[in-house]
Amino acid sequence: MSGTLKNFRSICKKIICIGRNYSEHASELGNTVPTKPMIFMKPPSAFVAPPNEIQIPPEWDELHHEVELGVIIDQQCRNVSKEQAEKNIGGYCLALDMTERKIQDQLKKQGYPWLLAKGFDTSCPCGDFIDKSQISLSSSVNIWLSVNGKMRQNGHTRDMIFSVPDLIAYISKYITLEHGDLILTGTPAGVGAVKRGDQIEAGLNGDNNLKYAMKINVASK
Amino acid sequence: MADSLKNFRSICKKIIAVGRNYSEHASELGNTVPTKPIIFMKPTTAFVTEPNDIRIPADWDELHHEVEFGVIIDKQCQNVSKEEAEASIGGYCLALDMTERNLQNELKDQGLPWLLSKGFDTSCPCGDFIPKEKISLSSSVNLWLNVNGNRKQSGHTRDMIFSVPDLIAYISKYITLEHGDLILTGTPAGVGPVRRGDLIEAGMEGEHDLKYLMKFNVA
Repeated sequence: MSGTLKNFRSICKKIICIGRNYSEHASELGNTVPTKPMIFMKPPSAFVAPPNEIQIPPEWDELHHEVELGVIIDQQCRNVSKEQAEKNIGGYCLALDMTERKIQDQLKKQGYPWLLAKGFDTSCPCGDFIDKSQISLSSSVNIWLSVNGKMRQNGHTRDMIFSVPDLIAYISKYITLEHGDLILTGTPAGVGAVKRGDQIEAGLNGDNNLKYAMKINVASK
Repeated sequence: MADSLKNFRSICKKIIAVGRNYSEHASELGNTVPTKPIIFMKPTTAFVTEPNDIRIPADWDELHHEVEFGVIIDKQCQNVSKEEAEASIGGYCLALDMTERNLQNELKDQGLPWLLSKGFDTSCPCGDFIPKEKISLSSSVNLWLNVNGNRKQSGHTRDMIFSVPDLIAYISKYITLEHGDLILTGTPAGVGPVRRGDLIEAGMEGEHDLKYLMKFNVA
């Protein structure tokens, strides 16, 4: 089964994202900590992988970076419990939830959906598949991001408000999760702006010398 | 190319829905008319087709029906103009944008994303593919929906605030539209609740004797 998950970005039918899943990040944006996961989507057309670049839509000046641990579903699941959740996981990845922050703020004020701010092409830079066996959910993974060589975000998945099994259980109550689907599990504090020409580096470090890093540029034009 | 579109519900990678695209519907929900299209998504797991039922998630009591004219993309397009937009269309369908209205209102009040209220399994009852040549975008299509035999919604696509080419041009500025993608183009006035056990019938009529009908039970 996991053979096809190496190509998860090609078979993925949905990217479900979680907002506000690290309390420091909630505070930095002046938001309260939620009692239930806040879920939104990116379309699969949002995927971009190095050496391709993040393209800021022409009328916008900047985007915000958000580094996240991604979870890739292997076994289709619906209405699973927290306890059952882990066995549906196929693997993990490192990903960014690129966001147009000003538009997102306007949309929030108006009570509008977030798609425009979160779902544009290249809003999901995404690394390669990391097999499930390389990451134990009982351990913490460090995720970090730097811009032009300066560290901006540096967090630990143990600080997630809702754990990966919590998220899978919650989402699958309402939305069937399918083979190849990606869940972005939220971002730690330190989000900030990138502009055309900037270089983003991001990585994750885990137990047993797990190290994954990627570099992606923000296109100059 | 259009042959695979008969199976659009299987190949579709995204459903992009448009809110508030009929002014009477905007008013009935106490909303202002937008200056730009309001766009959101449903995942493709939302699809349900006859003879399967609409399933209200266990913790909810009712859903709102919203009958919509669907547009299916044939040719991948990015940043197309209104004039070029129609060339990318493969066909059309009838669909419903089922919504948990109370939840949507709470999410709106809190500035939160709409996915939970719009994207649950079976929130997109969807009819069959209608080839492009059966409907001319310069004519109007009548959409209607009944609950338990009572007419609830009846509208005309000519009353859309943003036309189909407008919507394709707007969306494709930011999001590449791919072969098999579905755009739900908004709902006319008359939205209201359905509960477990209700029967929804919906249809559309157009020029050249175009008629399409579908029925869904609410489990």
